[in-house]
Amino acid sequence: MSPEDCVDLYRTMVRIRVFEETVRRYHIAGKAPGLVHLCTGQEAVPAGFISVLRPDDYITIYHRGHGHCIAKGSSLEALLGELLHRRGGVNLGRAGEPHLCDPATNNIGSTGIVGGSVPLAAGAALAAQLRGTDQVSVSFFGDGVLNQGVMFEVLNMAAIWSLPVVFVCEDNRYGEFTESATVTAGERYQDRGAVFGIPSDTLDGMDVLAVREAAEQAVGRARRGEGPSFLVFETYRFTGHHVSDQQEYKDSEEMRAWEARDPIPNYARWLADEGHVDDVAIARIHAEIDDEVEAAAKVADSMPHPGPEDLGTHVFA
Amino acid sequence: MQQTERQISLKAAVIEAIAEEFRRDPETFYIGEDVGVAEGIFKQTQGLHAEFGDRRVIDTPISEAGMFGLTVGAAVAGMRPVVEIMFSDFLTLVMDQLVNHAAKIHYLSGGGFRVPLVLRTAIGVGGVLGSTHSQTLYAWPAHVPGLKLAAPSTPADAKGLMTAAIRDDNPVLYFEDRMTYNLKGPVPEGEHIVELGVADIKRKGSDVTLIAFSRMVHVALEAADALAAKGISAEVVDPRSIVPLDTETLIDSVARTGRAVVIDGGHESYGIGAEVAATVSEGAFDYLDAPVMRIGAPHNPVPCSKPLEAMMVPSADQVVAKVERMYG
Amino acid sequence: MIDSAQALAIFESMLLIRRFEETVIDLWATVETEGHRHVYIGQEAVGATIMELLREDDLILTTHRNHGHVLARGADPGRALAEILGRADGFNKGRGGSAGLTVRAAGFLATTGQVGGGIGLGIGAAQAQKIRGRGGICVTFFGDGGLEEGIGFEAMNIAALYSQPVLLVCENNSVGVTTGRAQNEWSSSSMAAETLGDIPRALGIATEVVAGESVTDVHEAASRLIGDLREGRAPAFIEMRTRRWPGSRSFNPQLVTGVTDLDGVWDPASVTGEHADWINRYDPVIGYGRDLFRQGRISRSEIVAMNERVCRTVEAAREFALASPLPSAESGLTGTFA
Repeated sequence: MSPEDCVDLYRTMVRIRVFEETVRRYHIAGKAPGLVHLCTGQEAVPAGFISVLRPDDYITIYHRGHGHCIAKGSSLEALLGELLHRRGGVNLGRAGEPHLCDPATNNIGSTGIVGGSVPLAAGAALAAQLRGTDQVSVSFFGDGVLNQGVMFEVLNMAAIWSLPVVFVCEDNRYGEFTESATVTAGERYQDRGAVFGIPSDTLDGMDVLAVREAAEQAVGRARRGEGPSFLVFETYRFTGHHVSDQQEYKDSEEMRAWEARDPIPNYARWLADEGHVDDVAIARIHAEIDDEVEAAAKVADSMPHPGPEDLGTHVFA
Repeated sequence: MQQTERQISLKAAVIEAIAEEFRRDPETFYIGEDVGVAEGIFKQTQGLHAEFGDRRVIDTPISEAGMFGLTVGAAVAGMRPVVEIMFSDFLTLVMDQLVNHAAKIHYLSGGGFRVPLVLRTAIGVGGVLGSTHSQTLYAWPAHVPGLKLAAPSTPADAKGLMTAAIRDDNPVLYFEDRMTYNLKGPVPEGEHIVELGVADIKRKGSDVTLIAFSRMVHVALEAADALAAKGISAEVVDPRSIVPLDTETLIDSVARTGRAVVIDGGHESYGIGAEVAATVSEGAFDYLDAPVMRIGAPHNPVPCSKPLEAMMVPSADQVVAKVERMYG
Repeated sequence: MIDSAQALAIFESMLLIRRFEETVIDLWATVETEGHRHVYIGQEAVGATIMELLREDDLILTTHRNHGHVLARGADPGRALAEILGRADGFNKGRGGSAGLTVRAAGFLATTGQVGGGIGLGIGAAQAQKIRGRGGICVTFFGDGGLEEGIGFEAMNIAALYSQPVLLVCENNSVGVTTGRAQNEWSSSSMAAETLGDIPRALGIATEVVAGESVTDVHEAASRLIGDLREGRAPAFIEMRTRRWPGSRSFNPQLVTGVTDLDGVWDPASVTGEHADWINRYDPVIGYGRDLFRQGRISRSEIVAMNERVCRTVEAAREFALASPLPSAESGLTGTFA
């Protein structure tokens, strides 16, 4: 990776975090209604993984998906506009957070149903395989999906048909307010992919370079026609399940231990150690991104809401 | 268009439509359980695998939810899959992907994504296949905005509706009553399209309108013969599509005849018969000489029993009796 | 070794299932009947042996291929056959049929034709047994296709988490509907897992693979696992592998191996013809009969007497079923709600 690429990874993570803080602000101000799920703390997975994808590769995401949209190249204005339920939003202000997608970036999106988008990713992979393109499809989902039957069915089909799909489980340890380990049987989550003969692994999801390296291998395999992979990235959400969640079910020591693994400052130290950036450069990046997100927010906040005339459009194509 | 007297079965007509569209459009494929080498449990995919091979006629595991969801994904990516759910009873297994995904993706993406797929499934009672292989569940998806539904009664309509369904940019559910599979009739050769949302008057009449879906069209026609012998002229209207519904043709017919009976193979209560009855009651109220009536299956599961399951299928006798009561 | 009384009971139960299924196929050819039927020929050792190991308060879930389970549990063959023929005196008033035959009084909670559906219901029954705490268990029978549905996976995850007393019996008769499953191989084109047991094993469930033709092997594994279940070590999964019976057809089984000739027990040379290999190697009835005969636990005349007894039972069942009327049409409109 060139020094510029290394710094770009950093920029993506910071952009996601600043974006999420902005969303939180708007939510608290009542301008981003509904349940808002932030990926603060988990930025390394979308930033690192999607950095190896091409624009024509497909992704599907889940309710904690702002970071993936940003990493895949969605316009910050349109994305925030959507979360503010504006007509200029990426989905005309009608998807809100649960159904975010972005056709312009081949982001098939999230569906509001736990595990619901996983088959869609496999389907896009099937389309690529039938058409003979070398596009890859990546399904991002949380640990709660591991216990959905549809996940299991799709893993089996991806294996028997050798689909160019990568299953990326972002294990942040909690499905809503329940510790996933208490509701997920078996020794290792990755065994659920391995059981179908799918190359499966568990990796540090707080280390953006480790994520990127695993992504290169898995995406490379898929692009070469060598079939699916199943990766579990161990990560942690620093915020609640949604913004208003007070996280009383979490142990404070556990939270402190994970906060020490914050992917952003740790990666900044690595960049400095490698000589790619100095303190001044880091400060400049943060300032630039603050400005970029603030400018996008201004535009988004000035967009009109959809009106009654928008309600009935696009029911049918 | 070339007219022909060629007679083929409804099943063959559906296969012909699929094969012709598959030859025309390489972005199509067929996916389902036992649909490949086995050619379907009713031989309803006969010849497709031989012609189009493993890549375009795909056998799946018995995993309807995952398999259907995967089909939705391929459609979002721009392909035009035909996915077979063996019996409409198994819609229960794909409900999440159908209702929460396929139906909503176009709308919620703000029009950016389309889901051009056909879900082909069997309905109907017969052959004693039991309560979970005999249901006519089209009323469920009809309630969900974003889904279109077609239900042919004749081989020609079957071909034309399937062609239209494959070319449609929306998820279209295509219901075939398996008891009509071997029904023969004239079918045009070559391209034949029956637009979704256009009803067909199967028999002209002036005293009463019998609105019937799928196999029930034949029950209505039989009833119309019997009514004619009693001096009552029945018009038989086949909506052909459930969504969109050709309300104009239905209301126009009822406005002419002044009486209507809706005949539906699904359960009568809370069914599409109620929807159609309400629609024509609202639209033709001023012309009605009697309340719009419904005939459907009774409100109990389909028993796995030859004598009992016969009770689950509306009969021409029932239709005749209902019409006569309207004159009572 | 299985004690002789139990061994003979299992053998007689297997023979009853065989004669019963032969009669079912014959009736389909001779009496006007419709619908699907799935017979248990070739799998008798599994059902007969497991049922012999169960207690009265154990609960059972089965599938469209249920006749053997129902008979081995001791249900009246006459009422079972009446149900299969859709008659009013059947266990389910003729509305369940062959694929829906359910005998509540014998501990069967449901018979479901929905592939994998019973696995989900079974964990509910197992939870009930666990809460009652009297050592009762639930046995859920399902076919190899049952593991392709996500419901099985979801249910097994829960069974493992809650340590439920459920014995999952996967009867792999190497046919799942008709999809490309090679006749003589265990792997399948629709299942990526190398063996079916890998799936529950990934969820931390104890798994075993057993030759389902062998009463001895089935008994060894099932008695051990059922004992574990009663003591609270749970759940468990057994894949019972049986070789596809040559007469097996998706909807219309054919008696291509003929009416079972018990001469093959004491006179192996009498087994000839196209299907001799299946009979000699995989027919559980002939195989177990030979074991017991060789061990001197049953004589030729005792087998003949047992066969006559079983045939009389089946003949009586046949007469009962055929004498039973079809249900009246109005009766179908009752019982939608409890």
